[in-house]
Amino acid sequence: MNKKLGVYICHCGGNISDYVDVEKVRLSVENEEGVFIAKTTMFACGDSNQKEMVEDIKNNHLDGVVVASCSPKLHLLTFRAVTERGELNKYNYIHANIREQASWAHSDDKARATEKAIHIVKAAIAKVRYAESLVPIKIKSIKSVAVIGGGVAGMKAAIELSNLGCQVYIIEREYFVGGRVSQWDALFTTNETGKELVTRLYNDLVKRRNITIYTSTEVISCSGNIGDFKLKIKTTPRYIKEKCNLGELQNAIDACPVEVPDDFNFHITSRKAIYHNFPGEYPQSPVIDIKNCTRCGACEKICENVDFSQKEEITDINVGSVLMATGFDPYTPADGEFGYNSFDNVVTLPQFKRMIDLSDEKLTFKGREIKNIAYIYCVGSRQVEGENKYCSRYCCTSAIHAAINAKKKFRNIYNFHFTRGIRTYGKQEVLYDESSRMGDIYLQSYENDPPVVTGMNDKTVVRINDILTGKREMEVEADLVVLITGMVPRKDNSVGSLFKLPKGRDRFFNEIHMKLRPVETVIDGITISGACQGPKNIMEAVNSALSAATKSYSYVSKGELELEPIIARIDKNLCTWCNACSQACPFDAVKMEEDKTKVFAVINSSVCKGCGMCLPVCPTDAINLIAYSNSEIESMIDALA
Amino acid sequence: MAIINLRFGEELKKYGAFDFNACYNCGNCTAVCSLSTEDDSFPREMVRFSVLGLEDDIKSSLKPWLCYYCGECTMHCPRTAYPGELMMSLRRWLTSVYDWTGLSGLLYKSLPLSILAFVLTALGVIIFSVYKKFDLASIMHYGHYFEMFAILTVLGVIFVPNLIRMWWFVILKPKIKVPFKKYVRGLWELIVHMFTQKRALGCDDNQLRWFEHFILVIGYLGLLFTTVVLDWFSSGSLFVTALGYLLSITVFAVTVIFVSERVRKKKELSKFSQPSDWLFVIWLFLMGLSAFVVRVFIDTGILENNIWIYLLHLTILVQWALIIVPFGKWTHFLYRSFAMYFAKIKG
Repeated sequence: MNKKLGVYICHCGGNISDYVDVEKVRLSVENEEGVFIAKTTMFACGDSNQKEMVEDIKNNHLDGVVVASCSPKLHLLTFRAVTERGELNKYNYIHANIREQASWAHSDDKARATEKAIHIVKAAIAKVRYAESLVPIKIKSIKSVAVIGGGVAGMKAAIELSNLGCQVYIIEREYFVGGRVSQWDALFTTNETGKELVTRLYNDLVKRRNITIYTSTEVISCSGNIGDFKLKIKTTPRYIKEKCNLGELQNAIDACPVEVPDDFNFHITSRKAIYHNFPGEYPQSPVIDIKNCTRCGACEKICENVDFSQKEEITDINVGSVLMATGFDPYTPADGEFGYNSFDNVVTLPQFKRMIDLSDEKLTFKGREIKNIAYIYCVGSRQVEGENKYCSRYCCTSAIHAAINAKKKFRNIYNFHFTRGIRTYGKQEVLYDESSRMGDIYLQSYENDPPVVTGMNDKTVVRINDILTGKREMEVEADLVVLITGMVPRKDNSVGSLFKLPKGRDRFFNEIHMKLRPVETVIDGITISGACQGPKNIMEAVNSALSAATKSYSYVSKGELELEPIIARIDKNLCTWCNACSQACPFDAVKMEEDKTKVFAVINSSVCKGCGMCLPVCPTDAINLIAYSNSEIESMIDALA
Repeated sequence: MAIINLRFGEELKKYGAFDFNACYNCGNCTAVCSLSTEDDSFPREMVRFSVLGLEDDIKSSLKPWLCYYCGECTMHCPRTAYPGELMMSLRRWLTSVYDWTGLSGLLYKSLPLSILAFVLTALGVIIFSVYKKFDLASIMHYGHYFEMFAILTVLGVIFVPNLIRMWWFVILKPKIKVPFKKYVRGLWELIVHMFTQKRALGCDDNQLRWFEHFILVIGYLGLLFTTVVLDWFSSGSLFVTALGYLLSITVFAVTVIFVSERVRKKKELSKFSQPSDWLFVIWLFLMGLSAFVVRVFIDTGILENNIWIYLLHLTILVQWALIIVPFGKWTHFLYRSFAMYFAKIKG
């Protein structure tokens, strides 16, 4: 332990030295065991000081360096780099924070601030005596990415990754790609349809050799870690041979006796067991929904391409990173929520949008022509009682856009919006302006006094205490009530559990940091994008998809990854495999191993993050965290005492 | 409970209002209005009532009359919903609501109908003149009678019933109890506002305009008095003659300012002129000018050979007295003052 140490105490231009007597700190530590150099400096981070430090380390062959200055968040990496330039392994550098922890915090008591600073620096010196040279862990990283979900976000991310030269696997659970966007007609602001958007993306995708699209496919298991995920995927057959005569197929669809509610149209229509959602859909091959098929054979007799002999397929794929783009479900109102399922003219926003697309000339629902439409906002969002406290942010815009479209497409439509305040942020505000100029009526209530939908003699009446009219009770007789439903996480979000992705309080997948690390998850190598992370409109979903694609690419681009070597280490001799550490590990980094003599725990160095959760639970003290070993921490505590 | 009535907005647009649907209820208009108070706050509330079509609430409200159209609200409206012009349109609409004959509404909404009324009255004057064989003395004699007759008829047949209707809408129908004493005590308020329009001084930077308007009102009422009671055209008194000249000059000179403001469209209140606004100011101007010229012709002794000038003046007078006064913009003189009166006794 005869290390030669260098200690630098920073004035921080007065930030520290105005309250901490830095010279006194220097004098108190210069005679500590091993301290070879002890200096004060006006700005430790300044160029000249950095150069001086490099010279000091080189010329004196220092074994350890301490800088007492600001927070390590600000300059830890700076001084690690200085240490490296002095030809010393960077893990021999220890940072002491005497600004945030001493001078700033105790500016009212200079003497004791100085005393505290001395202790902090002594503790850092104690730690640096134990410091060892460490080498970053290097692991291989396969240059391929699995994109889970083939909606706009997934497709756009795949194209981006393909451009960067990655092998991409798109894994889509549904039979057709395009996700929610393929269900929408005209979109704001260009009036390009969702179908056109999907077509454009799909045509781009299929041209690319490095993209493989799997539809009706789910991930069933995942093992491995960043750089080397091993996925098992299961593909349900379409029961239709690839090349198909569309005329014959239509006859086969007509012949099918099964009718089930059509998910694509949110159950306002029905479809057959053999079906495709709309003619221009991708892939352009219809499908037999085997769950609802009765195997009556009617289609088989008409169309020779029907093939019931097709089998489920399991495929193994190996990727360096996984990009999640699994999207959202629209909120389903509870029975009786604003008359949902109790009055037959109460529908949700997605249903209404499909109704507009499917109706010509007259807007009719269940045989009745519709004139007065009442829109009730924030259904399933910003809930007072329920769990969904968040704003779904897309629905105000979407509702107003749909209302305008209805008014333009059909004659004599009168729109009444029952809102809790309109949030058509950004460019979308022009829609709100347009709709009110067109004569749409906006009424507003507080969250604790929502509008009420009642039925009276075959009429549906919506009432509200309108705060814009002095809380006067206003009434509208509505032919149709549209519940403006928000976004909720996918009902079947099991793929998230499979990857152990954490969820936020809103139950959507959670990022590490909302602002600074918005697409990364705590599971290394897995990124999230689009509405699986939280409500987003199409533009925002694509933004985050491109961001996630770039992040995923950064994991796989070099073929190998460098990981921080500060991880847990298990002393095999002391370990008795009680399983406590593996249960405590939030990252699933501890595995059981066995040799001839005993069973013991091992750490997966590419998964371990060095969080230290396993340390205190070990009954035999067999685990040490590199650079934070018991002896190091104890010596620091001694120095502080 | 109130039922939304979208047709009302359509109806109101025929009285000049537009774009008020764009309102998003921020309330900037009410905040900048220098006449709006906590108890009587406008124009946002009136915009809201108009959007929702709450007719009964507007009918019972005096707020449209409490606004003197400085235009600040329109200037500050972030949605360019023109609240000031909406208030103006509501005054036109209320005028037609108070009018039991329904003619006000027809004339406000239809320019062709207004033109027809003007043509018919002109024809009436011409036929009358033919009937009188263009005898100047006789026509002038009947012209003077007409003035007196028209004043009494319009007052008795149109104004009194209309003011009673206004009273019904704002006090009786909403069942506001007002003790008789208050009616009596409030009369002073009525007279003050009728002859001074002092509330208009509350609008920002409105002193000059108030003064011009005040002079015009005094000039007009004075001219009315001079011609009807003092019989200016037949009077030999130097004082009456001079007074008549002074007042008629005042009327046409001041109206020139008002007309030119409507032409230049610099102020908010003069940007959107409806036919009723043009007819009002132009006819007032023509009245003053033609009366002045007629008297000049009398004093220079050439009227005998230029009877057309008197016929022109008479036509303008008849159109004024039979169309603009009972059914047009003239009525704001009455309704504004009575609105202040009712507001006072209600409060």
